[in-house]
Amino acid sequence: MIELEIPPRTAYVGVVRLALASLGRGLDLDDEAVDDLKIAVSEACTNAVLSNEEAGGDHPVSIKWTQEAERIVVEVADRGTIYDRRGDDDSLSSGGISARVTMSVAMLSSLVDDFEISPRHGGGSSARLVFPLS
Amino acid sequence: MELGLDVRKVDSYSVVDVKGEIDVYTAPKLREKLIELVSEGSHDVVVNLEGVDFLDSTGLGVLVGALKRVKAHDGSLSLVCTQDKILKIFKITGLTKVFPIHDSVDEATGNDR
Repeated sequence: MIELEIPPRTAYVGVVRLALASLGRGLDLDDEAVDDLKIAVSEACTNAVLSNEEAGGDHPVSIKWTQEAERIVVEVADRGTIYDRRGDDDSLSSGGISARVTMSVAMLSSLVDDFEISPRHGGGSSARLVFPLS
Repeated sequence: MELGLDVRKVDSYSVVDVKGEIDVYTAPKLREKLIELVSEGSHDVVVNLEGVDFLDSTGLGVLVGALKRVKAHDGSLSLVCTQDKILKIFKITGLTKVFPIHDSVDEATGNDR
């Protein structure tokens, strides 16, 4: 298991993207799979960082990478409430934050094998992303 | 991480050539540039995404916001993109139905005929 922790700042999302893409390449994933991994992990981290920002907290965002026999599981945990607002306003024309989260969740659901958001003990959410290894 | 933004005029269109990664950190820079263009009277905008390596939901939100702004002035916003990995994002989110997406700046500005 590899664990990263970043301050809840937008500048660090790109760092996570680079690190995880590099881990993916090390497992011989093809370019498309690495791109999917980058986009999905970046979306989950963006949501986590903005979630903390919105909640006014300064809690770090943690990213856990676990490699199993036939899959990779990435868990991104925050202390915010952004996923609760998903679907408040689905209208794309609103351009609001919940419209962005709705797009983000659509991307996550489409790019990973399995995507789940669970509440965390003590507040916040944990997003679990499962990628196939083959 | 830098986002390159170059603006040029092609006939009545303002073409924004974007280079780099559009994510939650860099998207505000693109948003500012597009707001500036519209407020200066450029209502027909082409955003060229051929030099973009990465696009996230924040970038999509900026493009949707810019589309709203130009539409309020009876203008247009179209995109140039041929990269599968970027097109995939527009397809997944259903935005291929919202934005005209062209293969080249010439096509977007009607200079391919």
